[in-house]
Amino acid sequence: MAGLGVAAPIWWPDVAQAGEEHPYEGPYYVVFNASGGWDTTYLMDPKGVGEINRLYKEGDILTKGNHKFAPTAAHIQAGMSNEAFFTEFGSELLVVNGIDYSVNNHSPGARYMATGKLDSLAYPTFAALVAACKGPGCPLSFLTFGNYSNTGNLVAMSRIPYLPSLQKIANADSIEGQMRSPYHDDFVVDRIERALKEQTDAELSKMVLPRIERAESMLYAAQLNSKALQRVTPYIPKEIPKARLSQQAEIALASFKAGVCVSANLSIGQFDSHANNDADQMKLLPEFLEGITYLVRRAEELNIRDKLVIIVQSEMGRTPTYNKGNGKDHWSIGSIMFMGAGIRGNRVIGATDEKQFSVPIDAGTLQLDKESGVRVRPEHLHTALREFAGIDAHSMSKQFPLVVPEKEKLQGLWG
Amino acid sequence: MNRLLLALVVAVIPCLCGAAVDDYFQGEVWSKVGAQSCLECHKSGGDAESSKFLLQDPAREKTPGSAVSYNLAAFTKMAVARKGGQSRLLVKAIGGLGHGGEEVLKPDSTAYRILEEFVRRSDAQVTTANPARDAPSFFANIAMLDNRRLLRRVTLSLAARLPMSEELVVVEKQGLPAFGPILDALMKEEAFYQRLAEAFNDIFLVRGYDDGAESALSYEHFSMTRHWTEKHDLNQIADEKERQKARYKLADDYREALLREPLELINYIVRNERPFTEIVTADYIMVSPYTSRGYGNHEELRERFINPDDPFEYIPVRLDSLKNRTGRDHQQSETGFYPHAGMLSIFQYLRRYPTTETNRNRLRTRMFYQQFLGVDILELAARVQDAAAVTAKYEIPTMQAAECVVCHRTLDPVAGLFQDYYSLEGVYGPRKEGWFKDMFSPGFEGEELPASQRWRALQWLGERTAQDPRFATTMVEHVYYIVTGRKTLLPPKAIDDPLFEARQRAYQAQHREVERIAARFTETNFNLKAVFKEWIISAFYRADGNSTTAANPERRAELADIGLARMLIPEQLERKVNAIFGKPWGHLNDPEYALLYGGIDSKEVTERAADPSGAMGAIQRTLANDVACKNVPSDFAMEASKRKLFPGIEPDVLPGESPESDERIRETIIHLHELILGRYESIESPEVERTYSLFAGILSDAEERFGIETVENYSCRGAGEERVKDSHYTVRAWRGVVTYLLRQRDFLYE
Repeated sequence: MAGLGVAAPIWWPDVAQAGEEHPYEGPYYVVFNASGGWDTTYLMDPKGVGEINRLYKEGDILTKGNHKFAPTAAHIQAGMSNEAFFTEFGSELLVVNGIDYSVNNHSPGARYMATGKLDSLAYPTFAALVAACKGPGCPLSFLTFGNYSNTGNLVAMSRIPYLPSLQKIANADSIEGQMRSPYHDDFVVDRIERALKEQTDAELSKMVLPRIERAESMLYAAQLNSKALQRVTPYIPKEIPKARLSQQAEIALASFKAGVCVSANLSIGQFDSHANNDADQMKLLPEFLEGITYLVRRAEELNIRDKLVIIVQSEMGRTPTYNKGNGKDHWSIGSIMFMGAGIRGNRVIGATDEKQFSVPIDAGTLQLDKESGVRVRPEHLHTALREFAGIDAHSMSKQFPLVVPEKEKLQGLWG
Repeated sequence: MNRLLLALVVAVIPCLCGAAVDDYFQGEVWSKVGAQSCLECHKSGGDAESSKFLLQDPAREKTPGSAVSYNLAAFTKMAVARKGGQSRLLVKAIGGLGHGGEEVLKPDSTAYRILEEFVRRSDAQVTTANPARDAPSFFANIAMLDNRRLLRRVTLSLAARLPMSEELVVVEKQGLPAFGPILDALMKEEAFYQRLAEAFNDIFLVRGYDDGAESALSYEHFSMTRHWTEKHDLNQIADEKERQKARYKLADDYREALLREPLELINYIVRNERPFTEIVTADYIMVSPYTSRGYGNHEELRERFINPDDPFEYIPVRLDSLKNRTGRDHQQSETGFYPHAGMLSIFQYLRRYPTTETNRNRLRTRMFYQQFLGVDILELAARVQDAAAVTAKYEIPTMQAAECVVCHRTLDPVAGLFQDYYSLEGVYGPRKEGWFKDMFSPGFEGEELPASQRWRALQWLGERTAQDPRFATTMVEHVYYIVTGRKTLLPPKAIDDPLFEARQRAYQAQHREVERIAARFTETNFNLKAVFKEWIISAFYRADGNSTTAANPERRAELADIGLARMLIPEQLERKVNAIFGKPWGHLNDPEYALLYGGIDSKEVTERAADPSGAMGAIQRTLANDVACKNVPSDFAMEASKRKLFPGIEPDVLPGESPESDERIRETIIHLHELILGRYESIESPEVERTYSLFAGILSDAEERFGIETVENYSCRGAGEERVKDSHYTVRAWRGVVTYLLRQRDFLYE
């Protein structure tokens, strides 16, 4: 095998249109990643049979509407229990169980779940793709806090590690970010911007190499579009929440509210519970659910809850048995959850059997069909997601096609 | 028929009428089928190594072209062999005749049709030809960077300074041949080694481990010494607060010295022009006065240090084999020394990539293959029809299930070589129960580790790694990454892509260059400086523009990765500001700011941003505003002969006053373009005219504005300086000009 290469650049922003974007008003896409591989049998796909779970039995499984979930309230020290989570969001949640990740390793699993494509390093994540299609001029169009975040060279990825960082970049033309102390008089700024536009146009009119053409355009767009970051300032909270996901959520929400961001990739790690599965999962799953809840409640306060589309996922599941210690190893079957604008909740699609193997489904009816159904894989979900977001026909999506036969397309997944 | 249409036709009906068999073999059979679908198993060490259809990996060939010839013969033999009247090659590919890999190709796939055509050609014994003979040069019609600008790129990139005037003279006189001696001298400068260490950390990420730098020194073996700073005698400092402050500094320096150690190995090898294979074979580590105290051997080394109180003076040292604090379970060693194997056995490296009970050193092995042999075992993992069922079906899937064996046969033997470092913190400590039996036994690429080598397993691995042809190409690819900021291309996979041929040509052209430089690297006894020198003068580094419009989509695809256009990393940007203005901006040295500007922390964030986001665009604006603010008034405040930016002009020179004043303004603009952008403009250049218009336009606007202050901005004065008088607004106008220049690609990119 040759070197570890990357895809060549294929897209760049139109300089003529840079800076003319209006605030992006939604939908806002949020992907929550349980990095390391979650144990779905302690969340939305409870089993309690055989040796799958030590903390509860089949008879302990709880329900809320059409959802079944593992009881966790008695086992957690902090965070949000399944009981509380499904009570608050069950009517909005769409769960898909029995997803076949096809691989057992973190890196390809994360890539596959994020992009819908297993055998390519070039494909963008859904979050990056939707940002590129819907908000190419937004200065923080695609925010990421970790996990697989490839952009396919369609859009720049933004990392804002801390809330105060937002303040640092909000007013770039003012001394120490103070609006009352501009570096230059306004007419100087206008002159500089006009000269830069002319200079960029002149560079692009030359016969330059595609990479240089792209770099010139990306640079110009990044600087000009960054002016819109001024709009973020009013939405930066004075209090910084302590929890990891809550901090990420605040950065994403301030950016959404300011109209400078389309999608955000939120992530916490350490789910890889080889050593002590139950203790680890009972610590991390409640933290994860609490983070999701924080985002939704804060979005409510900011009046943008009805514009959120939330995807909750991990790159793999955990084995149906414990290993020689108290851990569980990698398992290539798992689940995903969706909620938000346009998604009908209180539904569970797909399943795993008593040994935690995937049960195929009929793509047309979404009912279980062991004999001739489809094994739901990430490309099925991503094909549906692209359609749902209205970007399946976008030229950028077509540059990264997902091959799903017509008869395997999940009909009516969103309800 | 144009090239695009031809490519489309080829994708549907793979018939290159008139093309010869090995032309067809290389361009179609090997690149689209053999390399992608057969080689992984049908090679030495692969799952099908015992089959009669054995192929050679071109990445491991020692004689150029030998693998292709060998593989052509193997494919031809299979193609003409018949079973039931059908070619064995075709039957096996679709899973017949008990093919161990089962169905590899679908009968209706493009890849299968390529094999069908190959069988037809083999039966007809079509004669051979060389496909590359008539191909136009890959760089036809591509303009190369002017040598002066190339020199500036190199000195800034590798030595954090502007070119010296004498270097410019030599380059102008001699052209490209001048770069060899200039680079020889440049690669002796200390700044080069700062960049080298920084760049190799981007690759090895070896600074990025948790729990404090001293955690690389295991409690079991260094419990008495690894926290030496806590008890170090500082009684010569009377004041308690000052003493505590000194102790904090001692600890900080010690930790930093430990973090630098692995990268100092690289610096030592390169500085002394030792074979770079020592990165996997060096029988020593680099130790400083501070870190030697952590190892407990400071006193015996003390005399060897020039300054035994310098935390960052490093010397090569062989450690004794490790002695356990309990008095038993000491490390076995036939020599009495720790079996050093370059980076492979460095404590910090092992700590950075630890193992777990179930991971069993496989992460380490994956990183070993990726970092030293250029093979990413997992990134292109094959899809398994039902991985969960396979896991459940076999007792030991990694040794029994073909889908798993394909990778684990390569991965697990090397994991076994790291078995002495099984302590879950990543430090030395063999597994109490002995190494796992349910894994392929320790070895490397089909060769088992002899029992006699067990105690020095990593040295045994390092020796084989150094001899592997993939080591040289991987190091050449690392240097390409260092100088361009990009990884080398992967071979294209999508054989139905209409632009496959173009992408393949781009990959092959680059790969040929990698192999050429790797051959040079080997000839020079693995002197890494030779690799830098070769890349710097390579067309891949110098390509700068099209001399014809590349509207043809195939040509655009070929050129998609050509041209440097590399956004400077935060550290480089700071150094560039320092080189031009004489002092850094400073903010990008703050780790949080650096992360915002696409930097890495070597732990969670390990890949540098390649494109500027809006957040980074904002930082660029701030930097341009602030650097201009901090430097323009200060420059004018100095006497003219000491100025960097404005040595030939005063604030009272106004545009339009006289031809002489206009000329002085334009000369100043030319000077600024050269200093900040590295552009050599003539006085009639449109770029000079644009900058002149900006300067004149600002002054014109200011004149019309009522009530403007006659002094520069309060915040733009230097420390201890008065506000600079600016009655004509020219200082602020020049500040606007410098801000404008600092926001351009020629400043922010390499």
